[in-house]
Formats: sequence, structure tokens, C-alpha cells
Amino acid sequence: MRQSMKDLETNPKAVLKGIRNAFGVPALLLFSAMTGFGSMAQEQGLSLYISILSPVLIWGLPGQVVHVELYGLGAPLIAIVLGVAGANARFLPMTLSMMPVFDEAPHNRRWNYFLAQFISINTWAEMLNRGHQINADRRMAYFLGFSLTCMIAGIIGVFNGYMLFESMPIIISLCLIFLVPIYFGLLMSNTIHPPFLLAFVSGCLLGPPMHLLTPEWGLLLSGLISGSLAFMLRNRLKGSGNIKEVNG
Amino acid sequence: MADSSAWIFFLSAVFATYVWRFTGVMISHRIEANHPIFEWFTCLAYGIIASLVARTLILPSGMLEEVPLWQRLIPMVFAFLGFYLLGKRLWVGIVFGETAFITLLWFGEISSL
Repeated sequence: MRQSMKDLETNPKAVLKGIRNAFGVPALLLFSAMTGFGSMAQEQGLSLYISILSPVLIWGLPGQVVHVELYGLGAPLIAIVLGVAGANARFLPMTLSMMPVFDEAPHNRRWNYFLAQFISINTWAEMLNRGHQINADRRMAYFLGFSLTCMIAGIIGVFNGYMLFESMPIIISLCLIFLVPIYFGLLMSNTIHPPFLLAFVSGCLLGPPMHLLTPEWGLLLSGLISGSLAFMLRNRLKGSGNIKEVNG
Repeated sequence: MADSSAWIFFLSAVFATYVWRFTGVMISHRIEANHPIFEWFTCLAYGIIASLVARTLILPSGMLEEVPLWQRLIPMVFAFLGFYLLGKRLWVGIVFGETAFITLLWFGEISSL
């Protein structure tokens, strides 16, 4: 059962390992979060088809939520484009910082444009924390196994939320919703690299006040300030590892 | 709203998200592997995600808004204690956090909902 990440000899084994590692807390999280989304989509009058395609084609909850909310309000197209782009802008830094994981992988680098679609907080953290433990030529298979499992759990969640949310007891709905901040809080705080930890802590402190200041740009501004601050202080933080250690 | 416009709105939202991923891959292909921008952008991602987590917890929208702030913060503390004191296992942290959350709901006003 405990096959180490290093000796995944074939792609099928790497895919299976990815599925196994996602099957559990990561998949449960996606299921819960997307259950919340599904119920919201149903409430706002989005069709079931679009609701189910949303986690596949957008695959970023804040942007999905903005899309549904603005659609429900009958907002103009440009508002939806800008709102979703703002809510999901984190995918630029996340994608950029994850790509070195695939640097030594043998696949044609054009595939990276496809792989990028599967990046979510979950899968990004997984690859950043554990990607380097896997042989470079098995990373794509592992990543796809892990991500697709999360995505399928998310689709089932949307379906579940769309169909059943209203008949679920309130306490269960609340627990599902509360799982999201717990999970991401624990996942993101658990990094051994001091600059990332500093970015996390200062982001937590700055996020809410910045959101009150400007609801549209609060997340981005707070992330930009806290992330850049952590980056500038990285050499002063003792034991700060360089990016090669993280990714390579 | 007409069916086709719903799809146009949706596909625009899809585009508005993918454009970031696309740009991320494109930039990464155009700079050298150990460029400091990778570390900077990882810090940015941590900062943005942290802001998102804190906002979801402290200024939630929807159902969680009905739960008083302290009933959200205390379970979060329990989740962190369970996670960091008992071997950094995610499910342990989640069980601690959710148990505290349910317990407080049970005794709080929200149970009357």
C-alpha cells in the first residue's frame, strides 16, 4: 500500500498513486465546496448543464461563484468577464510557479497549456509540496490522476448540491461550507519555507481589511502586498530555501 | 434570459479564467528556469490564497454569515491545534475543527434555525 513516491516506475502506477492520494480529504473538500456551488447555481437559475461544466471549464471556485452571482443579477457581459478575471487572477502566479515542476519532464511543453487547466489550490499545493519526490517523467501522470479525481469529486458535488441542497439539514450544509476555510488554512500554513509562511500569515491579516476597503480588488491587493513583502524579505528569513529546492 | 446568452456568459467566464493560466504557462516558457520571478509569484499565490481563506472565515457570504464570528474562529483554532500537535494530519485537523464547530452550533442560537 505504501509505495513511495520515488519508485513509481510506470505512468499507470503514477496515475493510480495520484488517484489514491486525492481520494480522501482532497476529493472530499472538492465535493463539499462544489456542493455549495451547485445549490447556489440552482438558486440563481443556472442550467444543470452549465453548472456541471463550470468546475470542468472554469475550475476555480471564486470565479465560478462570481459568474453565478452576476448572472443571477442580470449583470452585463463585461462585468462578468472582469469580475471572474479578478476573482480567478491567482491562476497566473499559481500556474507560473508550478511550471518548473514539469521542467525536466519529457512531454512536449505545449501540453503545459492543457495541464494548466487542472491547476487548483489543491493540486497546486500537492505538486509544490510533493512533486519533487516523484521522478520527473512520472509527474504529469501523477498530476493528472490527482487532479482528475478532484475534478470528478467536484462534478459529483455540483450535481449533489443542485439536486439536494435544499433538503439537506442546515447543520450538514454549514459543516460542508466550513470545511473550505479549515482545509485551505491548514494546507497553506503547512509550508517549510519561511517566505511562503510569511506571505500566508500577512495575507490572512491583510485580506479581510482590504476586502472591506475595496471588495473588487481586496484579494489581489492584499495578495500582492503580502506576497511581495515576503519575497523582499526572503533573504533575511533564516533557512529560506531557494526555488530549486521547492520545485526541482 | 435566453438559453444562448447563458452560454455566452458562461464561456466568457471560462475565457476570463483560462487567460490567466495561459499567460502563466507562456511566461514560464520564456524565462530561465531559476529566475526569481518563480519564487516571487509563489509568494503572491500564497498571499492571495491566504487572503481568500481569511475572507471566507471572517467575512463570509451566504449561510456562514449567520454563524457568529467567535463560533467560526474558535473551531479554526481547534483545527490548527489538532493539526500541528498531533502529527500534521489533515483529517485530524478537520475532525477537530468540525467537532468544535458542531458543538458550538449545538449550544448556540443557530440550532434553532
